[in-house]
Amino acid sequence: MTQASAAIRLREYETVFLLKPELPDEVVDQTKERVRTIVNREGGKLLRFTTWGKKRTMYPVKAQPRAVYIHALYLGGPALVSELERNLRNLDNVLRYLSVRLADDVDPDTRPVSEDIKLSGDIDDNRPLGGAERDAERAEMGVFDGDDDDDMGDDL
Amino acid sequence: MMNSSEKYSRNADRTATEDDKRGAKTFTRKKACRYCSDKNLQVDFKDQSALKYFVTERGKIIPRRISGNCAKHQRQIAKAIKRARALALIPYLVIQG
Repeated sequence: MTQASAAIRLREYETVFLLKPELPDEVVDQTKERVRTIVNREGGKLLRFTTWGKKRTMYPVKAQPRAVYIHALYLGGPALVSELERNLRNLDNVLRYLSVRLADDVDPDTRPVSEDIKLSGDIDDNRPLGGAERDAERAEMGVFDGDDDDDMGDDL
Repeated sequence: MMNSSEKYSRNADRTATEDDKRGAKTFTRKKACRYCSDKNLQVDFKDQSALKYFVTERGKIIPRRISGNCAKHQRQIAKAIKRARALALIPYLVIQG
């Protein structure tokens, strides 16, 4: 519909996928390149890869306590997303994926392709709940457990 | 009879005090939607540090009557939390001992 018009209009999507944590960097890069070729083959434009690095998952994903998170930002049509997800589903190294549409009617010429970003995964202090931090927090709070009981006694 | 009338009067007193309390409660500050007050903020499922303010310790989504979000942003936040859960960025539930 929109592609029939003079200026090609694409949609903007992002896909986050989780890879097995024990994979070497080469395999991670290979997977990224595979995604890039699929996007280019289907008439899309890959804008940016962001590797979040190896992170602790909040619950075991396919029996893995950690995963390598990769975020891909790209332009394309709906067929591209289904094709990309089909490929991710068939890859054994991919634990999980999630695609989200960000915008409609994007002119691909206005969106520049930027460098891939690589973040170090484990040094994120933004972990909100659960997991090791929760346990550590609870261990710290354990000191105050007796105090809590005392407070209850005072109130009564 | 006396007892019952006393009871009624007590009840009347009680409701009056409760009304007072209710009246006092209405003076509490109305919470503002943080996404409305700051137009640059965007709800993002990848931003787990922002989403943690809208999730209880157990991992449940906090209702907007408590968090103070507007309806529009509460819908976006709820969706973002569900997406973050699917990617294991936020837990579905936290089991407390």
